Amino acid sequence: MKISSLNTIESAHDDSIWTATWVPSDAGPPYLLTGSLDECVRVWNPDTLENIHTNSGHCLGVVSVAVHPSGRIAASASIDSFIRVFDVVTNNTVATLEAPPSEVWQLNFNPQGTTLAVAGGSSTAIKLWDTAQWQLIGTLSVPRPEGLKPSEKSNSKKFVLSVAWSVDGQRIACGSMDGTISIFDVARAKFLHHLEGHCMPVRSLVYSPVDARVLFSASDDGHVHVYDAEGKTLITSMSGHASWVLSVDVTPDGQAIASGSSDKSVRLWDLKMRTATQILNNHTDQVWAVAFGPPGRTDVRSCLLASVSDDKSIAFYQYS
Amino acid sequence: MNDESEKTFRIRELQESLESQSEDPALHFNLGILLWEKGEDCNKEKAAEHFVRSAKLNPQNGPAFRYLGHYYHQFLADSERALKCYQRAITLDPQDSVAGETLCDLLDQSGKETLQFAICNEAISKSPRSFWAYRRLGFLQVHQSKWSESIQSLQHAIRGYPTSADLWEALGLAYQQMGMFTAAIKSYGRAVELEDYRVFALVESGNVFLMLGAFRKGVEVFHKALKISPQNVSALYGLASALLSLAKECVDTGAFKWGASLLEEASEVALACSSLESNLSSIWKLHGDIQLLYAKCFPWMDEDRALNVDGKKFISSILSWTRSCYQASVAANNSYQRALHLAPWQANLYADIAVAEDLRSFLKENWEKLTDSWSLPEKIAVGEALGFFLKENRKKLSHSWSLPEKMCLGGLLFEGHNNEFWVALGCLSSSATLKQHAFIRGLQLDVSQAVAWAYLGKLYWQEGQRELAQHAFDRARSIDPSLALPWAGMAADAYARKLRPDDAFECCLRAVQILPLLGFQIGLAKLAHWSGNLSSFEVFGGIRQAVLRAPHCPESHNLNGLVSEARCDYHSAVISYRMARYSLSSFCHPTLKLHLQDVSINLARSLCQLGYASDAVKECENLKKEGLLNANGLQIYALSLWQLGERDLSLSVARMLAASIPSMEKALVSSAVSFICRLTYYVSGMDSAVKSILKMPKHLFQSSKLSFVISAIHTLDDSNQLEPVVSSSRSMLASSGDRTAMHILESLGKLVKYRSGDTLGIQEGISHLKKALHMFPEDASIRSFLGNLLVSSKEWEDLHVATRCLTIDHCQHQKVEALKSPWEIMGAGAVACCTTKFDNERFLFPTCQDQWHSGPKAIQKLQQCLHHEPWNHNVRYLLVLCYFQKAREERFPRYLCGIIERLTDVALSDQFNKDNNRSELYKKFQLLLCAAEVALQSGNARNCIDHAQTASQLLLPKDHLFFAHLLLCRAYSFEGNLVSLAKEYKRCMELKTNWHIGWIGLKFIISRHKLENQPTELSMLFEECSKDIRSSWNMWMAIFSLMEGLIAIWTNDFLVAEEHLLQACSLSTRDSCLYVCHGAICMELAKQHCDSLFLNRAIQSLKKAKQTSVQRRQPLPIVSLLLAQAEASLGSKAKWERNLQDEFFAWPPGLRPAELFLQMSLLPTQSSKESNAYPAMVHGQSRLRWVLQAIHMNPSCMRYWKVLQKCYADMYTF
Repeated sequence: MKISSLNTIESAHDDSIWTATWVPSDAGPPYLLTGSLDECVRVWNPDTLENIHTNSGHCLGVVSVAVHPSGRIAASASIDSFIRVFDVVTNNTVATLEAPPSEVWQLNFNPQGTTLAVAGGSSTAIKLWDTAQWQLIGTLSVPRPEGLKPSEKSNSKKFVLSVAWSVDGQRIACGSMDGTISIFDVARAKFLHHLEGHCMPVRSLVYSPVDARVLFSASDDGHVHVYDAEGKTLITSMSGHASWVLSVDVTPDGQAIASGSSDKSVRLWDLKMRTATQILNNHTDQVWAVAFGPPGRTDVRSCLLASVSDDKSIAFYQYS
Repeated sequence: MNDESEKTFRIRELQESLESQSEDPALHFNLGILLWEKGEDCNKEKAAEHFVRSAKLNPQNGPAFRYLGHYYHQFLADSERALKCYQRAITLDPQDSVAGETLCDLLDQSGKETLQFAICNEAISKSPRSFWAYRRLGFLQVHQSKWSESIQSLQHAIRGYPTSADLWEALGLAYQQMGMFTAAIKSYGRAVELEDYRVFALVESGNVFLMLGAFRKGVEVFHKALKISPQNVSALYGLASALLSLAKECVDTGAFKWGASLLEEASEVALACSSLESNLSSIWKLHGDIQLLYAKCFPWMDEDRALNVDGKKFISSILSWTRSCYQASVAANNSYQRALHLAPWQANLYADIAVAEDLRSFLKENWEKLTDSWSLPEKIAVGEALGFFLKENRKKLSHSWSLPEKMCLGGLLFEGHNNEFWVALGCLSSSATLKQHAFIRGLQLDVSQAVAWAYLGKLYWQEGQRELAQHAFDRARSIDPSLALPWAGMAADAYARKLRPDDAFECCLRAVQILPLLGFQIGLAKLAHWSGNLSSFEVFGGIRQAVLRAPHCPESHNLNGLVSEARCDYHSAVISYRMARYSLSSFCHPTLKLHLQDVSINLARSLCQLGYASDAVKECENLKKEGLLNANGLQIYALSLWQLGERDLSLSVARMLAASIPSMEKALVSSAVSFICRLTYYVSGMDSAVKSILKMPKHLFQSSKLSFVISAIHTLDDSNQLEPVVSSSRSMLASSGDRTAMHILESLGKLVKYRSGDTLGIQEGISHLKKALHMFPEDASIRSFLGNLLVSSKEWEDLHVATRCLTIDHCQHQKVEALKSPWEIMGAGAVACCTTKFDNERFLFPTCQDQWHSGPKAIQKLQQCLHHEPWNHNVRYLLVLCYFQKAREERFPRYLCGIIERLTDVALSDQFNKDNNRSELYKKFQLLLCAAEVALQSGNARNCIDHAQTASQLLLPKDHLFFAHLLLCRAYSFEGNLVSLAKEYKRCMELKTNWHIGWIGLKFIISRHKLENQPTELSMLFEECSKDIRSSWNMWMAIFSLMEGLIAIWTNDFLVAEEHLLQACSLSTRDSCLYVCHGAICMELAKQHCDSLFLNRAIQSLKKAKQTSVQRRQPLPIVSLLLAQAEASLGSKAKWERNLQDEFFAWPPGLRPAELFLQMSLLPTQSSKESNAYPAMVHGQSRLRWVLQAIHMNPSCMRYWKVLQKCYADMYTF
């Protein structure tokens, strides 16, 4: 279990890169999709390091990109709260979903590819969009925490930042600005419970691909948490980052997780040992996203890892 | 049918040919086969005859012997002859698998294994391709447990039969037995791949997974096996044990609920298994293990999160929890007993029973202790509900041995050399001497047994023998550092070991991380309280788990409350404290009163924090009745009384607190004193606060915290009575953080002290902070506060300086305790900056000395900030304003207007309606004005008026509202509605503003429509406004003059205009723009009046303009052109040339206008040599090319064409 640096693309965008995700493909290597403050989404080939496409169409910085499990279409969201759904290869717009400003943050397709979940920012809800008709099919609202008096202005405090689907598509977890994580039952469109433990914004969430109960979260309090999402128990709290943890992703085998942080480092965590086994300092500014690619074609145990940063560069690693 | 007839035909044919060649063995053989295959008995006999003939004629024909073998074996049942025939067949053809297999089967039936070996080996030695022999051999070896040989044979065999699932299965088994587990899993996997109903392979691979610790995969495989064969005992057993192992893993990480749910499933599976095979001791043992773990990990479910904890519900939930645990322990005990009953020779079962019994009796005794104070009927009722059978008190048969001890001894009688049994005895025994004996016996058997050392250490620690304990713990830790107990012991022994609180905390944390045990977790929370680590995440996780495991224990609830409080989660804290109190009062605890006091004070504090002051007061009054209100309690009491508005009562409580100060601990004094000071200030105002502070003895003010409180009161006090106290207490500020904070406080004080009317003494604050910054250049909070003040200043330069003093670091997210974050100051500065930025060089040339440094990046920076804090409405608002600025620079292009409309619309509709404080209202006002301006710029005057009117109705100071009416003026002027315009103008004049720019705008509009009644009134108002700004005052006056000049130009009154502009130039020397204007007017006047006086003035001004622009290395176009013209009019050709060339380079390449090229063409082709400083291309160009370039730039201008004609004419004449 280790990661080794492969390549770095310097100045991949004109400004801070904020988000990255992998595009699975049936033939050839997987591509990397990145979104940046320079209002573009770019597609990269990790082998040749060439920029295959540059997709523009946003008016403000791109906050999140998500790829449909088929790898054909992708969605990107920007600060002006337009979600653009486009064809990855041709950059044709498939749909444009509009929401009031500040009511769009992270995006995620469910593993079955039927629904797009959008972390609804200040609407304190998750919006679900149907991927066939591109219509809003559901809203999962985060309930107000009990005990707060109605007079207290709690609405702006619950800004919903992150969203994740469990592997079976049954559950959605969303992370809020006040550090709570909310779990929803998708089929019944019902809020189940909160997970407590973080005390600062939760910017990234990911479910274990191996076990639908296990949820990983990254927060500004500098910790990566492992939760039993069904039993609402904090299993492990892993510390080490010197500043905000901005993103977390899990390997396809579910044995390790990687995290990117404001302290400019990328860390690899061994879940059995519950410690950081590797610290990589390829970036010179805060790392906004880390993403593990699909398992390798020849060697299923290895896969690619990409990290993007405010220093405008993309770094590729090999995980094995 | 066809086949049959063909066969008969063939037989006939062969028979016929035999008649002619009766000695041909092949014919006999073929005929034999055909007859044999016909299948009738008579035919078989005939066939045998032919085979015999064939074999006799050709003794080398193996198949003939094989068929003969078949004949003897199947038909005559003469195994002797059959054996011989087969043997012969194999000797002739060792690869003959049919013969070989049948032969071996025959031998097998008669039990001759060695013969089988011999035959197989012989076949193998003859031909390496006799795979049947390998297969047979492999199976035989597996049968005889010759695993390593069997692997080789089976591998050979698989080469011949790669799709035989049997072979793969056998190979897997062999690998498994040899301990080659991954290979075994692969082989089993292949077998299942070939035939997916292979239960054996599935079950065995499941077992291997368990052995490898891959419990999840094990569960998966066992589930598969059970799908095929739902009643398979080994699969059920495997599944149950896999689930148990998985649950153990979960419990070890602290996921109790998960573990419990897995155990429930496991228990069901184990029971299903035992119903199939009720007499297997291992199944009962497994069930016992499952139940025992369940009893240990079953979590208490705290679903009720309402603030007012229902005591009855709480107690009953604890009862039901206890019941579940107890029942599980009983079930475990019973299952172990069943197992022992079936296999009484298994020593470990005795120890298991001992453990289960110990747990059972512990739970029971614990409960009895807790309910000691209850009445007997109550006890019995609850006991029956729990299934405790209180009446049946087990009578001890002998006094010396308890049941667990005895059972342990049972195990030891079997295996006296087993050191683990000794340790178990030591743990379970109740007598210290026996414990010590048992541990030492264990250690005698194995001196490196870390567990025994650790328990021995615990025993000594409990006995008070600290040194021995320390020694034992150290031993244990050095042998096995991954053992939790020695670490916990080290933490518990922190005092004796002289550990720092943090180190003790670390030790205990390690213990908790290794093993999340209840005692460790509670200890961790206590140490965290001691060392100030209560808000740490590990403590949070630990104490939450502890509450799940010990809901009856008030300590865990209380600590949980403290942890919640440290994390500012007062809601949970209140619930926890209430629970702690319920469990304290419901169950018997020896030190009830003291604990009750602590918990109640904690509760009152949290209630107070949560805003439930009346509840907090009630708590305090209850405490007071019992005489348990201490200093902390008094503070809370006074505070909550104050929150309720009971001022006098709270003061009297404060007096009580003050009276108790002399008897207080030293650590508490400063907090009590500062509390009293603050309370007096809030309740009875400045004067009495100052008085009471002066009355207090000086030695009380010896703390930095107090110093802040006094200084804050001092800053608000205009009479400066506290000066001596403050200066003496300042000496207590030790850390640099304290000192910088004090500087910020002092500068805030200056703001207040030097205020005049509504405006604060910002300049004084700035100068103080500048000095402070000189002392602490690294300090971010001073920097950002200074930036904040600079942005608030009305001086022009300050805005530009504001961002320069900030350090914006993405990676430093420590909360800077300033009023605004650096981001916001940066954004505000960008919005407020008067100088146009030069994002887009096509339109703009800077004319001002001051430059906005991070200007072009402001929008990006704000977006970055918004990405950091998307919930920050203020940044969003600043972003809108920045966008608006950008739109203004680019002359309101359509797409930008669209974005702004959208952003403002939504921002207005949702976020500001809730809040009505001043700053939010101001933001709303600004956004409305933005929307109105955008509407006006897109030609929609109606919308603009609507927005502006809404804005004008907000409850804001008059000088802000002025701008709404100003915008209304503009809108009406756009519409041409002069009546309304006049009305709005009047309103503006009534409202008045402190902002110069407002007056300038107003003047502009009304002079356009000539509405001014008394021209001097407006300029008087202008001069009146904001005289407090010093350095920018002249600038504003200059701008006013500039505008008056411009207005004069509209009316073609150039002389007046020149006068105004001259005045403007004399007032401000900062902006070259003024000079340019003046110069241009002078030239116009010179043209009109043919007066060289004006020309000289023009040259003077233009030269100054050029100078300032050159100083800043930002060449300004047009200036040089005008200058060139002026110089040319005065007849200086050289200066004209020079200036024209300057003009050429003042334009950025690509933006040069056509006229410039034409002018350049007028330059002589060969200029004097002194101007070599210019690149060659200027001179190299012929006149013709300049003209052509000009035409290329602007082909529509007839004048250029005429010049071109003239050029050509010149060339020809030349």
